[in-house]
Amino acid sequence: MAPLKRSWFKDPRINPSLIFGAALLVFMILAGTFGPMLSNEKLARVGAVEPNLPPGAKNLLGTDSQGRDVFTTTVMAIPPTLRVGAIAGIISVVIGLALGLIAGFFGGWADWLIRTFSDVLMAIPALAFMILVVARMNRPNIVSVAIIVGFLTWSGTARGIRSMVLSIRERSYTAVARANGESELEVLFREVMPNLLPLMLASFIGAVTMGIYTIMALEVLGLGNNVIPTLGMMIFWSQRFSAVLRGMWWWWSPPIVAIALIFIGLYLLSSGLDRFINPNIPHMRRRSRHGLAVEPASANTIVPPTDPQAVLQVKNLRVVYDTPNGQVKAVDDVSFTLSSGERMGLIGESGSGKTTMATAVMRLSRPPARIVAGQILLNGQDLLAMSDAELRKLRLKEIALMPQAAMNSLNPVVRVGPQIKDAIVAHLGRLSPKELDDRVVTALTKVGLRPEVAKRFPHQLSGGMKQRVAMAIAIVLSPKVIIADEPTSALDVVVQQQVMETLGALQRELGAAALLIGHDMGLIAQFSDSIGVLYAGKLVERGNVQDVLQNPFHPYTRMLIDSLPGLEEKKDLVGIPGLTPSLTDLPSGCAFHPRCPLAHDRCRNERPILQSPSQGRQVACHLYPTHSQLPPIIESDGLTPAVAATAPTVRPAPAPKEAA
Amino acid sequence: MLRYIIQRILQYLLIIFIANSLTFLLPRIIPGDPIQEALQVKAAAAGRQNVDIQAWVATYNEKFGFNQPIWKQYFNFWRDMLRFDFGYSLFDYPATVMSKISAAIPWTIGFMSVAIVIAFVVGTVLGALLGWPNSPRFLQGLIPVLMVISAIPFYLFGLALIYVFGVELRILPTGGGADPTLIMRWDLKTLGNLIQHAILPALALVLYGIGSWALGMRATMVTVLGEDYITFAQAKGLTDREVFTRYGVRNALLPQVTGLAISFGLILGSGVLIESIFNYPGIGSLIFAAINSKDYFVINGTVAIMIFTASTALLVVDIIYPLIDPRIRIGR
Repeated sequence: MAPLKRSWFKDPRINPSLIFGAALLVFMILAGTFGPMLSNEKLARVGAVEPNLPPGAKNLLGTDSQGRDVFTTTVMAIPPTLRVGAIAGIISVVIGLALGLIAGFFGGWADWLIRTFSDVLMAIPALAFMILVVARMNRPNIVSVAIIVGFLTWSGTARGIRSMVLSIRERSYTAVARANGESELEVLFREVMPNLLPLMLASFIGAVTMGIYTIMALEVLGLGNNVIPTLGMMIFWSQRFSAVLRGMWWWWSPPIVAIALIFIGLYLLSSGLDRFINPNIPHMRRRSRHGLAVEPASANTIVPPTDPQAVLQVKNLRVVYDTPNGQVKAVDDVSFTLSSGERMGLIGESGSGKTTMATAVMRLSRPPARIVAGQILLNGQDLLAMSDAELRKLRLKEIALMPQAAMNSLNPVVRVGPQIKDAIVAHLGRLSPKELDDRVVTALTKVGLRPEVAKRFPHQLSGGMKQRVAMAIAIVLSPKVIIADEPTSALDVVVQQQVMETLGALQRELGAAALLIGHDMGLIAQFSDSIGVLYAGKLVERGNVQDVLQNPFHPYTRMLIDSLPGLEEKKDLVGIPGLTPSLTDLPSGCAFHPRCPLAHDRCRNERPILQSPSQGRQVACHLYPTHSQLPPIIESDGLTPAVAATAPTVRPAPAPKEAA
Repeated sequence: MLRYIIQRILQYLLIIFIANSLTFLLPRIIPGDPIQEALQVKAAAAGRQNVDIQAWVATYNEKFGFNQPIWKQYFNFWRDMLRFDFGYSLFDYPATVMSKISAAIPWTIGFMSVAIVIAFVVGTVLGALLGWPNSPRFLQGLIPVLMVISAIPFYLFGLALIYVFGVELRILPTGGGADPTLIMRWDLKTLGNLIQHAILPALALVLYGIGSWALGMRATMVTVLGEDYITFAQAKGLTDREVFTRYGVRNALLPQVTGLAISFGLILGSGVLIESIFNYPGIGSLIFAAINSKDYFVINGTVAIMIFTASTALLVVDIIYPLIDPRIRIGR
């Protein structure tokens, strides 16, 4: 949530809830300000009109038992009600902000003291405590009551601000600002404050709600000030005179409606502000249940595979993301074939569409991602044309996924064993407990885990063990195709190698085809038979591992290979300058041209098509077939070694539109 | 784990200590002594009637003992507090505060716990369905309605309910806990009468409760359904229903259950307004009557009990939470 530079009304986070809530409150304020002018303020005094009259031409909402005009009294009760709320809100937010900032910035004992005190305050029921305090006051003054409410309710604000300060201090731009020689306080005011604003507003709204609620409750209980007519006092008076039992609906209902409107306005405003505080919270969208643009065709036509060896054929797959700024093509017209037993590595930087592709091949795309075109043929059956039930039967049994984030891919509240068993039961039906246990033990042993792991909860396992559990689930039904999406991205190098070796051994044992997706050219090439290179959602090169490594056709591939450290030869490490382009704003022509040292006019204007120079070899580059006559890339880029060394695995800052 | 429990119990004792010390200190800080005023008014009024004013004054002096040094007063205060001895009712002398509270508690707990459970079950089921993309479309139309009812202070529904069902339709009693003529027995007639009187106040609570439980559950479900373990569960080929119940609801239920435990802890305090509106003979009406008759010992005692039960409940929730959420079972 970087500070906003755009004009505020174009902010995509502005939402109907925020607008309606603000409008409702503005309306109530206007009603309270200008309402009395429509009527006569004197009518709100006791004995001003004839008592107990139902609504009529003279008294719009009738009169109460004390001889007041209900309409005038209600309208005039709105401002003092809002005012006490605002006083409570301001005090609460000021205290909360100050203590939250102190706790967040200084930490240590100050943090401990503030946190303990706020815990204590939160544990005291505010209303009960207020009853005690206000009952002691000789003549309760609503302003002092509001002040006490403010003093009792700052804990939430302080906590929110403290954790926000802590998280902002962790972020890179604060570190950059600090590195630029700014003092901590300068960083606080320039970088932290704009981020705190929405949170403070929301806290303020929360404290106002709390303040009005508490004071009104005290008033209804008889602890109000009889002189100032607030909405709460109106309800108390109507209760005193048994307005409900006497059927005087015009007396007790107007203040309730006014209170309801105020609370609904406050509620809408605070839920609207939520969008600013947590811009990444998932929002429910109406969606097609299948993640598909079109409902699957009912007839499941079997397309004869062009290659009898092919188990998985992806044809012209296209996946888009629906964003507020229009559609973004995350996977653009990608085709490839996987033969049985083949290991294909798919390489790309973050944001190249790898994960989008892996989820799409399983037809697991979720909004905002949507599969708009293409075919995914598993043994000739199109996964995209199937019914949900048919697809469900193939998942895991025929085509299994090893997810990218194995850390979070296991159900945290269920032990490992049942998570393997439910997968077996879903496909093979109810087996005897003994047989189920045997299968779980076999699967765990195969991935190198002890059988006791079945009794553990995921949080009791290390990252590598969780990845192995995910692998055990993926292979438990001996699938024909395994899709491993960055199977090792969260692990350290030694564990990466072990996990990949286990995966390789299992894949050979099962005779399954594997699609290995990753950003690490070295690791992926080591475990693959063939390689595909993905750039900005397009397949730019494909071929046998040896061919591609020895004779890359695409400059991007060549630069990926050059950026690998070699074991035998000593060489300068070379990175690829620039960052992955944003998919919302792709360069014209070849998407790689801004980073390509060999780019020429044609690259800037014309999109290269995928050519197929030989069997199983593909490339999308205007230089082909003349590429080998061009000067080598390394000498022409003039990169500094420092940048080069970090470049291959650098994750670019703009958030990639990959499915998380 | 043991360290966590000890830490939590120490914090609990600290809360009880601070809260009660505040209730001791505040009357001595706030200028004026309303109790003395109340006594004087009573003494003046009773001058002609034959009421034992001396007993009141004696009680009052024993309780507050302003002639004694402050540490002694503080010590006596704690001694009484730990024995749940809150003195005598000023208004209803010589009934003790504790006897009044014990008479009121079963009423409050009875109708409130039924209302809480109904609201929790209905609201949580509704919220789970609202958070599930495969649920019927018409359910989504309920969301604005739920938002509106959960935003309005619930005791205000009470007034409308009394008016509609008690005054206009005349099908349910307008207040009280039972018919004044009813003789309490363990039979169906008594039960029917009790239920009849509890329906409206419970309904006001249930309406509000359904709204907030459902919205809370829906929000958690939406977050949970975005987790990686849901995608992986789908990749395993589980049915939608299995993914929904065993992976979605199972995880989203944790914060709900915590919330349920907390609402049981706040049971004495949260019914105050609804009870006073319905004149229901529980803690709420007790405190309402005490406020309006300036019966300070009753107010003191009732609030102390509310603070005590609420903080005890929070302690219990924190200690049993690791049992429902395996992630923090080993403790940090």
